Amino acid sequence: MTLNRREFLKAHVATAAAATVGIPVTHSALAATQAVEADWQWDKSVCRFCGTGCGIMVGTKDGKIVATKGDPDAPVNRGLNCVKGYFNGKILYGKDRLTQPLLRMKDGKFDKQGKFTPVSWEQAFDEMEKQFRNAYQELGPTGVAIFGSGQYLIQEGYAAAKLMKAGFRSNNIDPNARHCMASAVVGFIQTFGIDEPAGNYDDIELTDTIVTWGANMAECHPILWARATDRKLSDPDRVKVVNLTTFKNQSSDIADLEILFKPGTDLAILNYIAREIIQRDAVSQEFVDKHCVFATGPYDIGYGMRGIDDYAYDQEKDTQAKELKVKLDKYEAIAQRRKEGDVIEQHNRKKPVKHWLIGSEDFKTAVEPYTLDFVAELAKGDPDEPLDQFKTKLAALADLYIQKDRKVASFWTMGFNQHYRGSWVNEQVYAVHLLLGKQAQPGNGAFSLTGQPSACGTAREVGTFAHRLPADMVVMNPKHRARSETLWKLPEKTLNPKVGSHITKIMRDLEDGSVKFAWVQVNNPFQATANANHWIKAAREMDNFIVCSDPYPGISAKVADLILPSAMIFEKWGGYGNAERRTQMWREQVPPPGKARSDVWQVLEFSKRFKLKDVWNEQSVPGLISDGFDEGKLPDVLTAAKEMGYSPDDTLYEVLFENEHNKQFPWPDPVAKGHDNHTVSTLGVDWFVEKALFEEYAEFGRGHQHDLAFFDDYYRDDVRGLKWPVIDGKETEWRFNEEYDPYVTKGTGFEFYGPALKALPTGDLDDVTNPEKVSLAGKAKIFFRPYAAPPEQPDDDYDLWLATGRVLEHWHTGTMTRRVPELHRAVPAAQIFIHPADAKARGLKRNDLAWIESRRGKVKAIVETEGRNRTPKGYTFVPFFDEGVFINKVTLDMTCPLSKETDFKKCAVKVYKA
Amino acid sequence: MNLSGILVLAPPERCAEVADSLNQIPGVEVHICEPQGRIIAVQEATTIDDEVAGLRRIKDLPHVISAELVYHYLGDDDSPVQSSGVRKISAENESPNIPAYLNN
Repeated sequence: MTLNRREFLKAHVATAAAATVGIPVTHSALAATQAVEADWQWDKSVCRFCGTGCGIMVGTKDGKIVATKGDPDAPVNRGLNCVKGYFNGKILYGKDRLTQPLLRMKDGKFDKQGKFTPVSWEQAFDEMEKQFRNAYQELGPTGVAIFGSGQYLIQEGYAAAKLMKAGFRSNNIDPNARHCMASAVVGFIQTFGIDEPAGNYDDIELTDTIVTWGANMAECHPILWARATDRKLSDPDRVKVVNLTTFKNQSSDIADLEILFKPGTDLAILNYIAREIIQRDAVSQEFVDKHCVFATGPYDIGYGMRGIDDYAYDQEKDTQAKELKVKLDKYEAIAQRRKEGDVIEQHNRKKPVKHWLIGSEDFKTAVEPYTLDFVAELAKGDPDEPLDQFKTKLAALADLYIQKDRKVASFWTMGFNQHYRGSWVNEQVYAVHLLLGKQAQPGNGAFSLTGQPSACGTAREVGTFAHRLPADMVVMNPKHRARSETLWKLPEKTLNPKVGSHITKIMRDLEDGSVKFAWVQVNNPFQATANANHWIKAAREMDNFIVCSDPYPGISAKVADLILPSAMIFEKWGGYGNAERRTQMWREQVPPPGKARSDVWQVLEFSKRFKLKDVWNEQSVPGLISDGFDEGKLPDVLTAAKEMGYSPDDTLYEVLFENEHNKQFPWPDPVAKGHDNHTVSTLGVDWFVEKALFEEYAEFGRGHQHDLAFFDDYYRDDVRGLKWPVIDGKETEWRFNEEYDPYVTKGTGFEFYGPALKALPTGDLDDVTNPEKVSLAGKAKIFFRPYAAPPEQPDDDYDLWLATGRVLEHWHTGTMTRRVPELHRAVPAAQIFIHPADAKARGLKRNDLAWIESRRGKVKAIVETEGRNRTPKGYTFVPFFDEGVFINKVTLDMTCPLSKETDFKKCAVKVYKA
Repeated sequence: MNLSGILVLAPPERCAEVADSLNQIPGVEVHICEPQGRIIAVQEATTIDDEVAGLRRIKDLPHVISAELVYHYLGDDDSPVQSSGVRKISAENESPNIPAYLNN
C-alpha cells in the first residue's frame, strides 16, 4: 500500500469515527469518506459478544466485511464499541475456521478412536442419525441431549427446542446460559412471577447511586460502564458509585466506596441492609402493603452436587459429603437461629424451590441477628482492613440505599448468579429494593445484567432450558403444555412433562451412561463446565456419540466424535435479545465459508431424517410421574396425530418446520433489500425460514406479557431493537409501573402481574403451618433468605480461595476471541492473580509459573501480583478463557440448588511453584 | 493492516496534554481534538493483538476518562475472496481444513 493511500485511509477513519459520534467534520472530509465507502454496503447489526447488546454497523464489499463501526443511532451504545468490537469484523476470518464436517474415522468408517477426517454433510448426517437412533432406541428421549446456548440466535434456539421437545419429546436441552444467569431467572420468577428486569439501561443516567454486586462492569460491560462513568462525572457530588466485590478490580476506579467481602457473605450484607431499613423505620409502608408479601423457604437444600459419591475421586468425597449433611459453623448458626455444631441433614435438596408466605413480623425476626457487628465480623474480606473501617463502609452502604429521595440502581452479574445460593441472593437484593419502594421506576431498581448476547432473547425467552417452553411457560405445568401443543399443532400429551437434565447434569449423565448422544450447539461446554476432568473422560471413554457444531475448534470440538461447521453471526439471518428486554435483528451480510451452514439449517436438515412413527410412539421416560400419564411413560400419540391429518410417515421436518403456517412466509422478501439467505438457498425452499420461525415463536408471547413486534418491524431503518412487551408498536420502558406498562391495571400504580407461583401456603420461619394456598396476584415477594456458608472453604491442605471470571479482551470460553490468530498473544496464557504476600510465602514471584491444585485437578498459570485484579490475602483469581490454563479442571461443580447454576467463584486450592 | 478510530475523552483543561501523549504512542495519531475534551485518535496496527493492547494503553494514559472504539477498518485483510466477489457456497472441492489441534 502506498503511503498516500495509507494517509488517505487514516483521514477517512478519523472522519468516519468523528461523524459516528457527532463531532462536526468538514464537507470536503465527508466527501472523501463517501468516496472511500462508495462501493461498500452498510447495514445495521448487533455485537456478537456480551449481553449488553451494542448496535454496530457492518460494512461489506464483494461478500466480505471491510469495516465495522458503533451504531450512532443505537440507544445502548451511541456509536461506541468496547475493545471486543475489534473482533466483530475479524471473527469470521480466523485461520482455523471450520469449513467442512469432520468425523472421527479409521479404515473408512466411524471409530471413536479415529482421526478427524473430512466427510460430506450427507455422510455426517448418516452417522449422526445412526448414533442418535441407537441412543434413542436404547434409552428413549432421556438418552439424548443438546447442549444449547445463550449465544443462540432466537431462531436457532427456537428450532432446536422445538425439535427436541415437540419432535423427540425430550427435555434434555439446556444452555450454557444455565452457567451464567439461571439464578437470576429463579430470582425473577420467584419474586415477580415473570422473568427479566423491570427497568432498562437508562436507569444508569437516571439514578443517583450505582451499586455493583459481584459485577466487574468496567471489564465485562465496558460500554455500560462508560455510561456509568459519564453519569458519575456529570454530578460527582450527588452521584455515588459503590463496588462490592471479593477482590479489587477496575470498577473500583470511579467508586466512592469499595467493599471487599468474603465469598458468600453477600447473603449476610443484604440482610444487614434489610435490618437497617426496618430499624431506621425506612420501610416504604404503603408500597409494601399494597404491592408486596413476605416469603421464605427451607434452608436445608444441599449444594447441587451429586448425592452419591460413586463417581467422585477420593479427594473429592469430603466436599461432596456435605451435599447430604452439614455441620453449622458459628456464623451460620447465628444467621439461621440455630446452634453451632448442629448437624443438618439436607432434607429439602429435592425441593429447594418450595416457599411459603410469612408475616412482616417473621421477616423482622429473621433479619434481627444481622447486626452491623455480626455482619462486619463475618463479611470483612480483606484481612488487612481494620474492622472499624469496614463497619463504616457497610453503614455508608446502608445509608445510600435508605436515604430518602435518593435513587438507587443495583447491578450484578456472575458474582451473584454463580453462587451456591445464587437464587437467594438475587431475591435478597429485590427484597431491599422492594422494602424501600425503590423498584420498577426510572433510576430506581435492581437490574440483573447478562453475560451472553442472547441469554435473555433466546435461552430465557424462547426457553431452551430443560424445564422451559417459550414465553415463561414450563413443561411441568399441564396448561402450559396444552397451550404449546395447540400452538405447535401437536397431539395432546406429545410434550414430556418431566424436567430434563440441566447442563451440568447432562455431563453427569454422560459420565454415568444415562445419556449416549449429545449435540453441542453454539457453545463450548467441555471447557465451560466445572470439574472438567470428569466430563472430558466421559466424552472420550464412555460409549456415547458427541456432535459439536462450531465455527472454530475448541475443546468441545476436540472431544467430539463429529464436528459440524457452523455459519457465524453475520453469515446468517437472526436476532438476539439483550439484558434490557431489547430484541434486535440483522440480515445475512456475507456468505459462510466453504460448507459451513447456519445452525437452523443443521437442525432442519437433521429433522428430515425422522418420521413421526419413530418418535411419537410410546416412549419410556424413567421417573416420569405426572397427572394423566402412566408412570414412566409417554403415550403413543400417533392415532391422535392421524386424526389431526398427520401420517406416521411424515417427517419431523414436514410437521414441525415446513408446515402450512411457515410456508406462508415467502422468500424472497422485500425486507431483505437484496441480502442473501444461505439457509433458504441450501435447504432449497421458497419460504423465509427465519421469519417464519420468529413469527411462529412470537405467537407464544403476544397477549401474554411477552409481546414481540413483527419480524419486519425490527428491520425498519428507524428501529434499533425494541424492548418487549411491544404493544401497539410501542416498547415498554419500565415494567410493572402504571405510567409505562400497559399491562398494569389502571389505578394500581404498580402491579407485579407475573403469573408464576402466585398462590402460596402460609407458615412461620421454619415451615408451612397452613397448607391452604392464598392468592397473591399482582404482588411481589420479599424473601427472607439466611446466610449459609460455602461448603468448600480453604483449609490446611487447600489454603486459598479461587474465583474464576472474565477479563476484558477475552470473551466467554475464548473459542472465538482466542481464534483470531494474533489474539493468542494478547494475554498469552491465563494468569493467577494472587496477593504478593501469598506468592512470597510460596516462594513465587511475578511471572513465575505456578500449579493451582484443588481436590479435582490441577493446572499451571503465570503468577500475577499486580495489575488490574488485586486480590486480598487468601484469595486468588484466574480467568477462564484459556484452553492452555484449563481452570475448570480445578473448579467445583456445586450449583445453586434452586437454579442449578454452577458456582465458579468459590473453591479451595493450593498454589505452589511449577 | 487494521485502522481504527477511537474516541478519547479527557478533561477540557487536559485535552492538549492527552493529545500529546497519544501522538507519542507508536501507530497512534490524533486527528481531531475538540476543546471540550473529545479527541479522535486513529490507531494503525498490523494485528488485532496490537490493536487491543494499543487501546488498553490509551485507556491507561494519565487523565484519560475513557477511550472506546468507534470505527474499525479491516479492508486489507488477506483471506481469499473469489473474483466474482462472493465466496461460493457448497463448493464440493474445497481443500480440507483440519486444524492440527484437533488430531493432536
